[in-house]
Amino acid sequence: MNIQKINVCMDILKKDLGEGFIASCIIMTEDGQVLVATDQANIAEATLLNDATAFIRNALKTYPAELGQYYYVDVAGTMAVLVIPFGDYQWTVTVNKKQVKLGLLLNVVLPAIINAFEDAVVS
Amino acid sequence: MGGDVQKDFKLIIDNEEINDAPAAETISKEELQRWPLFGLSVGSFLQVIAMEQQTCIMEVYLDANHTGHFCFVEGELYDSVCGDLNGENAAMEMIAWENVRLNIKQILNAKNVERKIDKNLMLLMMESSRRRDEVQENGEHADLEMEDVETLEDAEVVADDVERTKLDTCLNLMSKDMGDALKAASIISINDGKVMASYQDDQETAESFVRLTNFMKNTYKSETPYELGDHIIMDLKDQHTLVILMIGEHQWNIVFNNVKCSLGMLRNIIMPKVIRTFNEMNVG
Repeated sequence: MNIQKINVCMDILKKDLGEGFIASCIIMTEDGQVLVATDQANIAEATLLNDATAFIRNALKTYPAELGQYYYVDVAGTMAVLVIPFGDYQWTVTVNKKQVKLGLLLNVVLPAIINAFEDAVVS
Repeated sequence: MGGDVQKDFKLIIDNEEINDAPAAETISKEELQRWPLFGLSVGSFLQVIAMEQQTCIMEVYLDANHTGHFCFVEGELYDSVCGDLNGENAAMEMIAWENVRLNIKQILNAKNVERKIDKNLMLLMMESSRRRDEVQENGEHADLEMEDVETLEDAEVVADDVERTKLDTCLNLMSKDMGDALKAASIISINDGKVMASYQDDQETAESFVRLTNFMKNTYKSETPYELGDHIIMDLKDQHTLVILMIGEHQWNIVFNNVKCSLGMLRNIIMPKVIRTFNEMNVG
C-alpha cells in the first residue's frame, strides 16, 4: 500500500465533499486496527462497522447475494456513513447528509475514491 | 344485474353452474370437494390472481348462506356477486370474510364479460379493511371483553390479518410500479420479528436483516454517541441494491435491480407513494 497515495485519496475526498465532509477512517478488516484516520474520525464506529460488514456478508448468504462496492448507513440527526469494504481494508466516510446529496456521493465521489484507493492499494 | 352477470358467466365457464349455493346448513363431502381451496384469506387469493394476471372466476364459500364469486379478466377485477349484492358492494363484503373455502374456474372466452367494477383491487381492499375496522370499533362483530382471553386472541389475529392485508397491498403496489426490477421484498414487525408480508423473499433472509439492524442499533447506542437512522442502502453484486427502511413499527427490506429501477426512483417516487398508501389505509 502506498501511504502517500492514501493521503491523496483523503484529500480528494475532502475536496469533493467540501463542508459536507466530517471524518474518514481506513482500517484493516482482519484485526480492526486503524491505518489512517482524519481528525474527527470515530474509531469505535469504524470498528463497529467492520463487524457489521461481516454480519452483512453472512446475512446475504441466505438470499443468496454478495455485497458489492459499498453500503450507506443513515445515522439519526445530520450524519450518514458510507462504508467501502475493499479486500483487506475498509474505508468509512462520515458525511453531513444535509450538505452532501446522496446522488453526488454515490455517483461522483464514490467512483473517484474507489479508483484512487485501488491505485493506492496495489502500488 | 346479478342475473345478467351469472348468465354471462355461464357462457364462458367450461364446466358446472356457478350459482347453485348449498341448501343444507352442514356442508357435505361433495360440497367440500367443490370448494377445494382453503387456508388463505380472500384478500390474499385475490392478490395472487391479480398478480398472476389470471382470467378466471373465484368462487367463495363462507357457509351455506354466504357464497359468492369474483370475476377476473387478465388480473383485473371485472365483477362480483354475493347474494343480493353485486359489483363493488359484493366484492367488499366478501373481501372481509375469514376462514372461507374457495374454487377457481378458468374463463375460456372473456370477450362477453362486462366490466362492472371500475375501482382497482387495492382500493377495494382498503375500503373493505376500513369498513371492517369500523364494524369492529362499533362492536357489532367483535365482542372484546378483556376477561375473555380467547376472544381477545381472536381479535388480535383479525387485527394482524388486517395489517398483513394492508402491507401485502403495499408490496403489490411496489411490484406493479417496479415491474421485474423488484427482486424481493419483505416487511417485518420490528417488535416481534414476525414477517408481515413478503414478495419472493424467504423468511430466513428477512429475519436475518432484522437481526442485522438490531445489532447495528444496539451497537450504535452502546459504542457511539449516535443512534442508527431510518435506512441502510447496500450495493450488491450483479447490479442489485438492497434498501432497508425502518418505518414506524416495521422494517422493509427491498432488493431490486438498480439498472432497471434507479435508487433515486425508489427513494423519491415509489417509496413515498407506497408509504402514502399505507398511511391512507391506516387513517381509513
